[in-house]
Amino acid sequence: MTHVRIKMLIAGMVLIASVGYLAVAGVKSGWVYYLHVDDFVQDTAYQDRRVRLFGLVDQENVDVAPAMLTAKFDLHGESNRVSVHYQGVVPDTFKPGGEVMVEGKLDEAGVFQADTLMTKCASKYQSEEHAKRLEASQ
Amino acid sequence: MNALIGNLSLAIAVLAAAGALFTSVAAAKFGNDKMLTLARWLHYVLGLAIVAGSWALLSALINSDFQNAYVASYTERALPMGYKVAAFWAGQEGSLMLWTLLLAGMAAVAAHGFRNRERTEQAAMLGVLALVCGFFAALMLFAANPFVQLPAQAVDGHGLNPLLQDPYMIAHPPLLFVGYAGYTIPWAMLLAALIAGRKDNQWIGATRSWLMVSWLFLTVGIILGAKWAYIELGWGGYWAWDPVENASLLPWLTGTALLHSVMVQQHRGMFKVWNAALISCTFLLCIFGTYLTRSGVVQSVHSFGESVIGTFFLVFLGVCVLLSIVVVVARRRLIKSEDTIAGMLTREGAFLALNVLLVLMTLATLVGTIFPLISGVVMPQPVTVGAEFYNKVVIPLALALIAVMSVGPLLSYGQGAGRQLIRGLIVPGIAAIVAVIAAMVFGMTNPWALACTAITAVAVCSVGVGLTRTVRQRRKIEDERWLTAAMCVIDANHRRYGGQFVHMGVVMLMVGVAGSSLFGTKHTFQLAPGASADFNGYTITFGELKQSRKVNYTSVEAHVTLTPPDAGPGDAGQKLHPEMRFYDKSEQPSAQVALNSSLKQDSYVTLAGWENDGQLVAIQVIINPLVAWIWVGGIVMSLGAVFCLMPKLIKATAVAHDPTKSPKHNPHAHAPGTIPLALAGEGQCASQTQTTSTELYAEASK
Repeated sequence: MTHVRIKMLIAGMVLIASVGYLAVAGVKSGWVYYLHVDDFVQDTAYQDRRVRLFGLVDQENVDVAPAMLTAKFDLHGESNRVSVHYQGVVPDTFKPGGEVMVEGKLDEAGVFQADTLMTKCASKYQSEEHAKRLEASQ
Repeated sequence: MNALIGNLSLAIAVLAAAGALFTSVAAAKFGNDKMLTLARWLHYVLGLAIVAGSWALLSALINSDFQNAYVASYTERALPMGYKVAAFWAGQEGSLMLWTLLLAGMAAVAAHGFRNRERTEQAAMLGVLALVCGFFAALMLFAANPFVQLPAQAVDGHGLNPLLQDPYMIAHPPLLFVGYAGYTIPWAMLLAALIAGRKDNQWIGATRSWLMVSWLFLTVGIILGAKWAYIELGWGGYWAWDPVENASLLPWLTGTALLHSVMVQQHRGMFKVWNAALISCTFLLCIFGTYLTRSGVVQSVHSFGESVIGTFFLVFLGVCVLLSIVVVVARRRLIKSEDTIAGMLTREGAFLALNVLLVLMTLATLVGTIFPLISGVVMPQPVTVGAEFYNKVVIPLALALIAVMSVGPLLSYGQGAGRQLIRGLIVPGIAAIVAVIAAMVFGMTNPWALACTAITAVAVCSVGVGLTRTVRQRRKIEDERWLTAAMCVIDANHRRYGGQFVHMGVVMLMVGVAGSSLFGTKHTFQLAPGASADFNGYTITFGELKQSRKVNYTSVEAHVTLTPPDAGPGDAGQKLHPEMRFYDKSEQPSAQVALNSSLKQDSYVTLAGWENDGQLVAIQVIINPLVAWIWVGGIVMSLGAVFCLMPKLIKATAVAHDPTKSPKHNPHAHAPGTIPLALAGEGQCASQTQTTSTELYAEASK
């Protein structure tokens, strides 16, 4: 093996080792469980850590105060529900009955304190309206 | 009528593609040139059929033909004409139509450019292109048809998603599709060259123009997408590492590696395995990205819904992966390197480092994007990795890459490059030290920011040192003034100096990203009319809330005054009007950001909400330093790429100055009317120019 090849091999190994280290560190710090409301309520293992929850916003008991930057609502799935207190700018697309994703943690009172709220926005590539029309045409 | 023309065109396109595939295989197998000509003509027919189909869809959109389901879903009568046209690519079916149109057009151009190539190579090229075009045409005909008719004509359409009613959004998707479609051609050229058993490196030169054009469009598309997200989505950022964004970044990363890597094969006969892998991966990542974003397998804020076309893309991806692997493995002898790398501090060494770094960035981005899928297999619940992961892994790699890039102009091929590099680095090195010390004196302590400062200084000075070296060398031979000599040197090698211009754009982009992500601040205020609040030396005052009626929406506007810390006593401050729009055809309001942008910083103000008819409003203010440099950097990068593609500019002046040099004797002069995209001969011309510069370098190092 030539001198240059050995040098390159060492450089490559150092690079890959450092990227590996960064990747592990990155995964650890970015690690968030992604759960449906039903799974979250059933499985207590995730209730004491920060998770990302998704489900539907209940039609009732939605209390949005845009100027106060808060939204209180129930997130429900098929069988379970959890009440959510969100603090922050409420997205335009937030509406009762819509599908949302919240990130945060359950507090002692059993209320999910969220600091991130994302809505599944009207799709860019396949709108629900269009899907309905396609069905109707058949 | 439109539906009939549309469906007929798609059917003709599918048949033409199948015919082209069949005839090109037959041409190669039986050595029949007539079959080959037929295959080429079928490609032209395919292109025309797709043009006719696209025209039918466009005509339906413009004339508000609400019998058509696509038109009814994505437009409305009140929609301005520009957006009616833009609705062409607002939905799944139409965007695939646009992609197919671009692909079929480029395939026809490439087929024409290949008409004098050797039979097997030409046949393989036509066959591969027919496969890809045929897939898209069939996909539209059978799974995502834009010409589905409604049982009854709708009274009015559903309207275009308000988020898409923005000039940037009109331009963003088609530009990306030009890039995606463009990367198909080099892939077909690679497979053709390997199948035909070409041992030379001429063919790779011909891919360069396609790679450059695709890269240019992809770059502009991504930057416009970022700009759109910045001004439209209202969270103050431009890149969220969302799967959809990552899908466009993946081929861009490998495509960037390719632009450099193909040069090494062209001039040195090295990196052949790299290039075969990178060309294949770039194309495959375009298809993979589309599968990812349109199948619903990965949760994204964009939410595409699960649709059948995901499965089609997955199967097609499998076929393409298999084809690439089979051809590359079967022809592995053709891609053996002809030379070895002379050392790490050489140009080929730097290109190797660049390839490795970009591939690692691609892998990290890919792993992050599909992490929920991977973890879903091993763990009981899927895990996502957020922006944290990318910031920790991809950003350091990107900085390392830009550091390698910054010394690029000082590197040459082969032995002796190291010494030359070290000598060339004296000035940039001193400049970097001075810049870092100056930054620290001004109170900058963040290590990332200091690293960016040093890299910027090195990058800018290296370009200067590299250019000075070559100009000095030229002035030893030619009796010219500095400026004339510099212009001649730059014009003699567009690829080199266009590339360095692109690099300057990358540095600006880095400055913008570093400034806004390291030093950006976000504040939220609740204010009554007339009230004001202070933060970081700024004062924000809320005037009033105003309602007004526009063409297809109602607007609620907040009048806000922002006074910066350096404002004088008479300074009225920035008047900003963040807005909330209520589109008639949309259930949800849509926020409009008020932006005051300068190269120093952006003040980014959004109206978050209000209560009691505007007696209390919530306003969010984001101060984003240096963010405008991202857009400036994007423009510089695009201009650099355009310069790379332009033919030589000052040959006429050179002739006027030196009567002994007629255009006939000038080997570098392009024939009049030569388009850089023309396939034949392009590689030779570029390689001659490159050799001249290498020779100059060799002399400079003596």
